[in-house]
Amino acid sequence: MTEPVKDLVVQAELVSKTFGTLRALDRVSFQVVAGEWIAIMGPSGSGKTTLINILGGLDRPTSGRAIVDGVDVGTLGERELTRYRADKVGFVFQQFHLVPYLSAVENVMLAQYFHSVADEAEAVRALQRVGLGDRLVHLPSQLSGGEQQRVALARALINHPKLILADEPTGNLDQANEDLVLDLLRDLHSAGHTILLVTHSLAIGRLADRRIELAHGRLAQIIFNVDENHKAVQEHS
Amino acid sequence: MFWRILWRLLHASRGRLLLAFIAVASGAAVCAALLNLDLDAGDKLAREFRVLGANVIVAPQRSTDAVPLMDAGAMAQINALRVPEIVAAAPYLYIAAQAEPPAASNVAQAGPAAAGNATQQAEKASGIPVIVAGTWFDQIARMNSWWKIEGQWVSSRDDSAHCMAGSEAAKTLGLGPGSALILRYGGREASLIVSGIATSGGSEDSQLFVSLEVAQNLAALGGRIGLVQLSVRGSAPAIENVMKQLARALPGLSVLPVRQLAATEGRLLERIRGLLLATVFLILLLTALGVLAAMAGLALERRRDVGLMKALGGSVQRVVGFFLAEATVVGLAGGVIGCGAGMLLSQWMGARIFATSIAPRPIVLPVILILMVAVSLAGALPLGLLGRVRPAEILRGE
Ligand SMILES: Nc1ncnc2c1ncn2[C@@H]1O[C@H](COP(=O)(O)OP(=O)(O)O)[C@@H](O)[C@H]1O
Ligand SMILES: [Mg+2]
Repeated sequence: MTEPVKDLVVQAELVSKTFGTLRALDRVSFQVVAGEWIAIMGPSGSGKTTLINILGGLDRPTSGRAIVDGVDVGTLGERELTRYRADKVGFVFQQFHLVPYLSAVENVMLAQYFHSVADEAEAVRALQRVGLGDRLVHLPSQLSGGEQQRVALARALINHPKLILADEPTGNLDQANEDLVLDLLRDLHSAGHTILLVTHSLAIGRLADRRIELAHGRLAQIIFNVDENHKAVQEHS
Repeated sequence: MFWRILWRLLHASRGRLLLAFIAVASGAAVCAALLNLDLDAGDKLAREFRVLGANVIVAPQRSTDAVPLMDAGAMAQINALRVPEIVAAAPYLYIAAQAEPPAASNVAQAGPAAAGNATQQAEKASGIPVIVAGTWFDQIARMNSWWKIEGQWVSSRDDSAHCMAGSEAAKTLGLGPGSALILRYGGREASLIVSGIATSGGSEDSQLFVSLEVAQNLAALGGRIGLVQLSVRGSAPAIENVMKQLARALPGLSVLPVRQLAATEGRLLERIRGLLLATVFLILLLTALGVLAAMAGLALERRRDVGLMKALGGSVQRVVGFFLAEATVVGLAGGVIGCGAGMLLSQWMGARIFATSIAPRPIVLPVILILMVAVSLAGALPLGLLGRVRPAEILRGE
């Protein structure tokens, strides 16, 4: 608390989001330090996706502040939000969300194009790193779910984002592909990337440094996995 | 990357884009055909006006005089008006003179038959009656540039040594280019060399044309003319306007239109052209609607892609730019193909309906391309609405 806030990538301060009368997020506050891997957990409808969307600049909080890499995302205009998404965050979705008529390498290049300029050689290297060096010109429909998700991961990383936001990235994958994707996430973590990962699975949640548990839009608890054996649990009001 | 993505988009949506393309191409074909027809018919009309030669005459008001005449000073007054629509103005003094045909030796180059004929006539009479028109050669040459000339026009306005002969008169008198002849009137005479034989297809073919001065001298009517013929170019109202100006400047003289029929023909053609252009406009509208229908379907299909591209940091301009580029490609491709088809169509229509050959006009292509791209972009407006798609909602939906 008294230590200087160094390398804070995410500062959520009393973030609330209401859809009509529904409180999808209710005064959620937490912080993420650079290089941390956070698992966001909670039952369906507890507000996990809403939180990810707000941090990713896809949605705005109704109140409170979501500060990512020093930028208060909620205050950005439409143009600045677009820029923010291109520069600061990399998304991985449960449904992969690749552009169906672009090849694997073109899907990665599209993110480069929106960020600055497309660089095919770099895009190819990114796909090789996720083990898809031999699937470059395949269309998403010609790739397995696991392969599609690895393309999405390469796409998320290509612009060196400050924050990787993964919303149930293994939810649609079988065990083997889940393991492949988790291995890649582990590599990214050890390479120093900051990751927010939404998951239902406690096994996956345990891979993270901390687990943030949501319930009915509220932050139920934050669990430090390293200290879990000691039940060091930070209760939240 | 832009072109690569554009190509993929075009390929991915080829079914729907084909519909838009067909709409544009058929719209372009009909528009190109009509525009081409309109341009070509318009030019043909203008040419016809030129063919008319004089379409306005200035003449003395009918009086009790046996032969009404006017002062040649009217020419100076007309020219002083400096009306740009007046292409040419020629004074005319007509006299019925006696022509003495050339000696046989003068037409040696006209061939044995003509020479024989001439000799025969020379023997028969001391003169053959012929209508002689004294005028300004440069002006009638300009007014009647479509006359077929054997030999040459007399180049100078008041060349009193040369004359032009209408083809019928030349036949009667046995004249050819270079022939000499003598004109007699009231005891005076003038000897002239034929410079050229003119065929107009009209009454001019039986006349001889001499300089105004020669006719005035023969008739002893110095400074007098019978009428002025003018060639005035422009639409029917423009010509009427010029006539009003002339009437104001020349009080005491009549300003009369010739070939009234041509004027109403012109008005009719103008109305047809108006109809053509209205049809073109209607077709453009229908084409835009066709493109709109195809693009609206495309917009629905593309919602998810647009949401995704925006989520990945694609700006509205970039994302919508792809779709507008697609519409432009459709417009250009449809425009080119349709324009080619339209040219053929206009030729067919020209042959079948108007019984004239219609030449393809290069200007139609750029005009059609611009129109078609504009129409396609207008039809692609629903794609512009995709800019409002909210990515969070799109990506959430299953
Ligand atoms: N755009 C929206 N409009 C209305 N309700 C929404 C919208 N987005 C999410 N919600 C609601 O907010 C709550 C939280 O949703 P979400 O963040 O997707 O939950 P989770 O990802 O944890 O399953 C749910 O009740 C959901 O129905
Ligand atoms: Mg969710």
